[in-house]
Amino acid sequence: MAALSDAGSVRQFNEDAIATDPDAGIAVLADGMGGHRAGEVASRMAARIVFDHLQSRVIAFRSSAGAHSALQALDESINRANKAVFDASRAEAGHHGMGTTLAVTLFYDNRVALGHIGDSRVYRLRDGALAALTRDDSLLREEIDRGWITAADAGESHNRSLVTRALGVEPQARAHLAEDDAREGDLYVVCSDGLNDLVDDADIALILSALHVNLPLAAGQLVQAAKDNGGYDNVSVILAKVLQPFPAASRQRWTRWLRWLR
Amino acid sequence: MAKIVLSIGGTIVQQRFVDTETIEIGGQADSGLVVDDRAVDPKHAAIRCVGNDHILEDLGSRAGTWVNGTRVTRHILQHGDVVQLGSFYLRYLNPRASEVDFERTMLIAELPGPSDTGGQAHSSNTPPARSRVRFPSGHARMTAGARAGQTVALDRVIAMFGLSGQGRAVVTRRPHGYFVTHVEGRRHPRVNGASIGTQPRALAHGDRVEVGGEAFEFAQD
Repeated sequence: MAALSDAGSVRQFNEDAIATDPDAGIAVLADGMGGHRAGEVASRMAARIVFDHLQSRVIAFRSSAGAHSALQALDESINRANKAVFDASRAEAGHHGMGTTLAVTLFYDNRVALGHIGDSRVYRLRDGALAALTRDDSLLREEIDRGWITAADAGESHNRSLVTRALGVEPQARAHLAEDDAREGDLYVVCSDGLNDLVDDADIALILSALHVNLPLAAGQLVQAAKDNGGYDNVSVILAKVLQPFPAASRQRWTRWLRWLR
Repeated sequence: MAKIVLSIGGTIVQQRFVDTETIEIGGQADSGLVVDDRAVDPKHAAIRCVGNDHILEDLGSRAGTWVNGTRVTRHILQHGDVVQLGSFYLRYLNPRASEVDFERTMLIAELPGPSDTGGQAHSSNTPPARSRVRFPSGHARMTAGARAGQTVALDRVIAMFGLSGQGRAVVTRRPHGYFVTHVEGRRHPRVNGASIGTQPRALAHGDRVEVGGEAFEFAQD
């Protein structure tokens, strides 16, 4: 795993927050919003709460309980973070209206659980092909879905910075949860819009394909490409590569037992 | 706030703010913007407001809707755009629009009605904002390795050289020039005979680069 977060070429502060634990298979990214640096408060708070909660549940979702408990842990962590940010935004005047996007990957038992809200994304590079595993909660996305503008024209839109959902802005979080199989060689990308708003998918795929053998360099090149293309937003990226299969502990024992039988 | 200005023969005949959800444009008397011209249909076109965007849409008009000389069916209006309607010109003014692009993330209500088109997360991702950054142009004339004799265009953000096992490096294209960086392998790339180590090295026209069994001469156009 490699992770990098940068304020970008224009902004003074970094309102993105990231937290990773390669051993536990956890990657969390949050992109905060709100005036007077409240966005920074929201993203850090959310990333920390989600990360801590998932870490505390690692034993549980790595055991035979499987998908159900991983998604459940993810859901719990997001709801906790939502409540904390929401409560904090009401407790202090300077924090009023703050919120954050969130994108999380959680690897367990040859699978990955995904959680996201807002316009932070998760991509997967498999066999050289880049696929977006999340769908932005953004006005621009809706304009395209409704056929009001074409995806090709979206580059001319002025709605880049408008998200339709965020964490911590309402009592209940409306996050998207999903899961996917994770194969050996897969490369997962968790990023803030400071990356994909400035670097197109083809260039992201090209950089990852060339540099997947050197993840820190790949992360550095992605951030550099975003900054070279204008870098007017904070840019954060987490890269997680599946080096080998990672079956749940209990199943491993079961396989060993089978082998012993034969 | 955005403004539209209708003129004919250099004279302004009408102007208004784009302050309603939609503005219908046509010859019909109750249109938001009435354009009385034989080439303009009763319901010719409309401007739809979505967030910070004003989307001009042709309503199937006979003569079509033309923006800056190009016929459009749908178009996101940009500051200074000129829409031709028969003998009339409609100018769109929104000087703040370009600033909006650099604004910080804000929350906006979801659009009413169904929005989920069925979980097609993989289709038509929102592409990046149009870049205004200018990049240099260069190429590599291969002098050794499997590609010897070929010319490799350096027209993308990154290009790979060398072989796995023998050492690999990338050439990155940046606004202020090209750089070569070591990626993997025990042997680091050499530029004009000297090892570059692990740090990026700026390339100058005519530099000779050796990396993992390949060699090339760098040329900047």
